[in-house]
Amino acid sequence: MSAPAPPTPPAATIPDAEQVAKAMRRFIADIGPAAALAMESCVHCGRCAEACQFYVQTNDPRYTPIHKIAPLKQAYERELGPFAFVYRLFGLAPQVTAKELESWQALIYDSCNMCGRCSLICPMAIDIADLVERARHGLFEAGLVPADYLGALAEKEQATGSPYGLTQAQFRDMLHDIGLKHGVVMHVDEAKADIIPTVSSIDLKMFPASMAAIARILNHMGVSWTFRTDGFDADNAALTAGDRAGQRKITLGIIRAALACGARTVVMPECGHAFTEMRWEAANSFGQALPFRVVQITELLAEGLSDGRIRVNPGVGERATYHDACQLSRRGGASAAPRLILRALGVDLREMGDAGDANWCCGGGGGVALVKRAQPLRDLAFQIKRRQVEATGAGTVYTSCSGCRQTLEHGGKTANWTSTVASLLERVADTLAHNQKD
Amino acid sequence: MTLLEFARGPALQASALIMIAGMAWRMAGILLLRRRPQYAASRHSLARRMGGGASLILSRFIPRRTFWPRIAVGVMLSAVFHLGLALVFFGGAPHILLVHQATGLIWPNLPKGLIVMASGLTLAAMIALIVRRRLHPVLRLLSTADDYVSWLLVFLPVLTGILLSGEAIGDYGSLLTLHILSVEALMIWLPFGKLMHSVLVFAGRWTMGVTFARKGAAT
Amino acid sequence: MPEDHRMPDHTETLGAALVRHGIGRRDLLRFALAMTASLALPPGIAPVMAENLARAKRRSVIWLSIQDCTGCLEALLQSSSPTLESIIFDFISLDYQETLMAAAGSTADRMLWDAVAANKGEYLLAIDGSIPVKDGGVYALTGGRSTVGIVEALAADAKAVLAIGTCAAYGGIPKAYPNPTGAVGVEDLISGTPIVNIPGCPPMPDVLSGILVYFISFGRLPALDERKRPLAYYGTTIHDRCYRRSFYDRGQFAQSFDDDGARQGWCLFELGCKGPITHNACASLKWGGGTSFPIESGHGCLGCAEPNFWDAGSFYTSLAGGSPTGWQNASMAAAVGLAGGAAAALLARDKADPDPEETPP
Repeated sequence: MSAPAPPTPPAATIPDAEQVAKAMRRFIADIGPAAALAMESCVHCGRCAEACQFYVQTNDPRYTPIHKIAPLKQAYERELGPFAFVYRLFGLAPQVTAKELESWQALIYDSCNMCGRCSLICPMAIDIADLVERARHGLFEAGLVPADYLGALAEKEQATGSPYGLTQAQFRDMLHDIGLKHGVVMHVDEAKADIIPTVSSIDLKMFPASMAAIARILNHMGVSWTFRTDGFDADNAALTAGDRAGQRKITLGIIRAALACGARTVVMPECGHAFTEMRWEAANSFGQALPFRVVQITELLAEGLSDGRIRVNPGVGERATYHDACQLSRRGGASAAPRLILRALGVDLREMGDAGDANWCCGGGGGVALVKRAQPLRDLAFQIKRRQVEATGAGTVYTSCSGCRQTLEHGGKTANWTSTVASLLERVADTLAHNQKD
Repeated sequence: MTLLEFARGPALQASALIMIAGMAWRMAGILLLRRRPQYAASRHSLARRMGGGASLILSRFIPRRTFWPRIAVGVMLSAVFHLGLALVFFGGAPHILLVHQATGLIWPNLPKGLIVMASGLTLAAMIALIVRRRLHPVLRLLSTADDYVSWLLVFLPVLTGILLSGEAIGDYGSLLTLHILSVEALMIWLPFGKLMHSVLVFAGRWTMGVTFARKGAAT
Repeated sequence: MPEDHRMPDHTETLGAALVRHGIGRRDLLRFALAMTASLALPPGIAPVMAENLARAKRRSVIWLSIQDCTGCLEALLQSSSPTLESIIFDFISLDYQETLMAAAGSTADRMLWDAVAANKGEYLLAIDGSIPVKDGGVYALTGGRSTVGIVEALAADAKAVLAIGTCAAYGGIPKAYPNPTGAVGVEDLISGTPIVNIPGCPPMPDVLSGILVYFISFGRLPALDERKRPLAYYGTTIHDRCYRRSFYDRGQFAQSFDDDGARQGWCLFELGCKGPITHNACASLKWGGGTSFPIESGHGCLGCAEPNFWDAGSFYTSLAGGSPTGWQNASMAAAVGLAGGAAAALLARDKADPDPEETPP
């Protein structure tokens, strides 16, 4: 199977020299000892390519993960490395050119999910996925984020807090409508609450039932909770765009909302990067440890199922498999929780080959699903996931990330799957054992 | 002063000093860059994070099962090369002697025949690796002059070493001179090229191990 | 053997002299066989050698000692035993040798130049000790004349020059750093006359006698290597013929004198033995009439037959060891490195955008 060659982006509106200067400044600002160590360590062994779905499906060496961050590395060697002056003196690390930045745009945005399989295989323990995220910062500031969809999302998100440009009032209305439609009590913008659930923008558009599901479960648990429309959308498309300012703005919005109502727990939705951002990066943007806990929805469900606050009516051995969202399992340390939930649900779990921490990415993560021109490549990458799912013979594919869910549904439709794609959160909500509180 | 005396004397001193200074420079230059404190709540205690760092150093030697089919050949070649080189360097009596005279440390050596065999396997693996580097599309894209220079600077000591200890070809004195000079070339280059991975591998694996243990992430 | 105190007859052949001592042709042939083996010549040559020896005429040898310690001469003398070799030594006409001759002063001087005149173009010039050339050669004078000039003059009329001992061959101990007298070996001073180097400190007596026998037999010098050493004796290293080789191969080394390994006769590589790079015949011919040699006695080879052996570092530092760097220098180097790296990192920090909210992980 051969992939289309990486496309050339439209000409940027910023002049070349300025483009390069902005990218360089941002590249350098994003490199500390850990990233520097990573960039000094590559021994050109080529193993990262063998872990990457884009290389494996195309055999195109340009998709070698460490190759994707070449401009970042070159900037580092030229400006920050211990022997930078030697590199400059002897022309060993020439200045990155605008043309190079442009031709790297597709490698960094179209052909990388930041899934971290490469970081897992690297014998030098280089966290390549993390370096790609950093490289995106520089490209974003050089005006080289893919204009369609992703860039638009990020801009809207920065302006209004939602990639869809919805205002708080519009959110409030949406939530009340969902509550009515699904017959569930919604708590919205209450002054004080222990638990703040957040939502992903994909759920807003594609899976509104998930918001009803969260509400139903939290009501079932009998805890004090509220949605806060001033800190609501956790998707953080700005993160995958490489927009540091936007990323911080959204995160701080959620933090402030949680602080304002004295929350003890912030619950992240079924979304990979939302969890990564809030659980592992938000405190750093805040500048100090967060005064509340951050959990992913599956972690909350697992806790509730374990200590009895959530009671479900287990099913009868539905044959299902589970797709691990990269940011939750491999990168986030939350691969045990979903399996506990599936067990509690009475599911007959047929694990895929390579299930768990080293599972293949669905191909849609890290913002790739939002880049239209990347679709053929993404579809190629998905074939791996398709084969994995089909080999299990499962009737249902569960996942706990709306991005993956969307990718699986799209891919499954193209492949004429008989199996359905389902959200773990919604399934738990559907099988709750009823009590008066619901 | 003969070339052998030069190699054993001032050249050995100079190359050792360059190697030490270069390694210190490179490590300091990396580790003293501006660091940002981590405020996110760790899943595990500091002790367990340190344990994570240490255990990743060991666990990364063996790739995960899921990756094996696509990387088995490369991993095997690399293992034969590294283990062979380790056996030769740490087991060969003259090498132990060198370390002993510099530091006082000493440990038992291996018989010469075993060293010669290990050297032979190492050379074979190195040749296979360099051929693979020229043929594999990914490796061709990634490779730089550094890769080839580093290969040569490791190949020459092993080659001159096997000739020297085999005692079948060439004059002892000349081979000894070449062997010592080639090792000195390697020492001088080590801090500046990819051979520094011999040190960076520990720092990098430790860092990832600690960072990922904080998150409970997969390693 | 009966002593014969008659004055040597310069026209007498060696064969006749041997008969006088009661040694017949059969003994001579046996001796020739032994010598051909020692010289690594084909055994078929032995009868030819014997015949030539029998017909050989007395050969004049002039022996000049310059910056010597007399060790080379002593080794040759001490090794003399009532053997055929000693007779041959008697047979050569040692016309000038300062230690041995009775004459001294201007008498000795006249004897020297008389011998040169009488044997012009035919005598062998043997030199032991190095020759000081610095400051006009003033550091060794004989009869007020610099030995530099004497050597040059004597070599010009000699049939061949024998540089006996490492000092004469390569400069030896007087040449050791800082070499205040500008000592050099014969080959650095003389060209035009064939030179044989017989290095060693002292050299093996067998080597000199072998060369003399060859020269007397065939009228020319034996095959030499690129360092002008007779291949028969210097063609292999001590290591090549060392009886302790199996221990070297098995990796069993004595680590200190008189430790268990040493007592078991293990290889002395780690104690500084220079056998692998030293060309000489000690390991096969041995010293003291075949009694022993340094390694057999428990001490590593010093490499005394190689040039500059004195300046090649400690005798007790192995060939692998070299001169280690030492902790002080190593610490200095580490400190310099750390400082440089720290400076680079600090400069880099300044370059990175110091946005406090944006400091990287």
